[in-house]
Amino acid sequence: MPIEVKALTHVYMPGTPFEKKALDDVSFTVRDGDFIGLIGHTGSGKSTLIMHLNGLLKPTSGQILVDGLDLSDKNVSLREVRKRVGLVFQYPEYQLFEETVVGDVMFGPRNLGLDEAECRARAEEALRLVGLSDPALWDKSPFELSGGQKRRTAIAGVLAMKPGTLILDEPTAGLDPRGRDGIMNLMRDIHAGGTTLIMVSHSMTDVSRLCSRILVMNHARLTADGAPADIFADAARIREAGLELPPCAALAEKLREAGFEGIPREAYTQDALAQAVLAALEGGNP
Amino acid sequence: MQITIGQYFPGDSPLHRMDPRAKILFTIALIAGVFLADSALSYAVLLAFVFAAIRISRLSLKFVVKGLKPILFIVVFTFIINMFFTSGGRELVRWRFIRVTDSGLRAAAFMALRLVLLVMMAQLLTLTTSSIALTDGIEALLKPLSKIGFPAHELAMMMSIAMRFIPTLMEETDKIMKAQMARGADFESGNLIQRAKAMLPLLVPLFVSAFRRADELALAMEARCYRGGQGRTRMKQLRFTRVDAAGAACVAALIAVVAVL
Repeated sequence: MPIEVKALTHVYMPGTPFEKKALDDVSFTVRDGDFIGLIGHTGSGKSTLIMHLNGLLKPTSGQILVDGLDLSDKNVSLREVRKRVGLVFQYPEYQLFEETVVGDVMFGPRNLGLDEAECRARAEEALRLVGLSDPALWDKSPFELSGGQKRRTAIAGVLAMKPGTLILDEPTAGLDPRGRDGIMNLMRDIHAGGTTLIMVSHSMTDVSRLCSRILVMNHARLTADGAPADIFADAARIREAGLELPPCAALAEKLREAGFEGIPREAYTQDALAQAVLAALEGGNP
Repeated sequence: MQITIGQYFPGDSPLHRMDPRAKILFTIALIAGVFLADSALSYAVLLAFVFAAIRISRLSLKFVVKGLKPILFIVVFTFIINMFFTSGGRELVRWRFIRVTDSGLRAAAFMALRLVLLVMMAQLLTLTTSSIALTDGIEALLKPLSKIGFPAHELAMMMSIAMRFIPTLMEETDKIMKAQMARGADFESGNLIQRAKAMLPLLVPLFVSAFRRADELALAMEARCYRGGQGRTRMKQLRFTRVDAAGAACVAALIAVVAVL
């Protein structure tokens, strides 16, 4: 279920003093099974971009095809699109509203017109997947949960719609290191289950840990698209986009400058770098 | 969602630079002026004045006219009521029990014009004055009343906080709406009851966040030792300038003309 974005441009409030070009001629294709990290500084257009992918915003110009469905075509049902592309907003816990946790998770499936038993089954499955498997939690009010649990509930609310592609906007924002690890592991599990994932972040570290492909946004434009190793190889472009290399990639770069020429560009995670350094030391490098 | 009434349009025209206190007083004077008018000529003069003011303020006319849209129904309604229910005058049309007289038509046209003028004047004030300047102006004007125990500062503070949070809440509404739409919610179709029910997933999170924000704001104000307006000084003092004098002269001239005509 590929998503094709062609020459997408979006202008906010055209014709007023508040006019702002948020996306400028952006093109790329999301392939099945991708795990994409979409990074960029604040205000670079990341959030505007992802809201186009499930039809929440209409392009000023350009085209988006989800599974061959043209989103600007009036005959295409947006519900159909939103069934395929799930979107978890930043701080999704602020969208919870139902009286019970399980009721809130069932909101999405209900909107898809599924019957009550199916909604319930999907909700329970999604809640188990996000790690809220204790049925005692399900009938609690979502407002009684802890911050991390609320976020998991909100993510379950989108997962219960079983989208083929899931987009998460800053899923780890405002969480402590443990909560962060939990969400990162959850994303790895969801991707392993066969869902195409797009994670929006401005944290290079988060992106480098999991993603197989990175898109870099800078001032409304898509300035880089490729495998993490290729992206991190061009440190200058990353700094130009107002971002930093992930710590391990930065360390690898320093080591290469210091004479460890054998360290490969692929060694941008902690484990890979440790292995590479070990191999280089055993090989008699300086 | 487009609400132009009460929105501020940044700019640097003489109207933007005018003292907010002066602008508020002028607007009140102009509104009084509208009620003095009772001839076609005086309405023409008022309309010309408002259009000239829009020109000077460098606002786009289209934008001001768009702001009239919410009151369109009231204008049409008033027009019709006045047209059919004004007695006296020469009869123009008679069909069964419906009578349209020339004085009825006159009253209807004047009434509709009056409403349009009032809204345009109010818009001129809010479009050229930031909400902070506006509440500063109101506070300064109400100050004398605090001698008899009227909470001028508190009222102005409440107003400015409310105004300050309108865009925030609109943004929040938009965000929650989008989040629920991503979960398949539909806010646009269905009958009245279905639509009202569809608002629930929007209103609950909105209220929760509004109360949370109110709590946080109260805490932040207390942390900075807020205790009302007593002894508070200002960095930006309001000062009347030549623009205000010019404005006063224009408004006074206009009212004199309208009263005579």
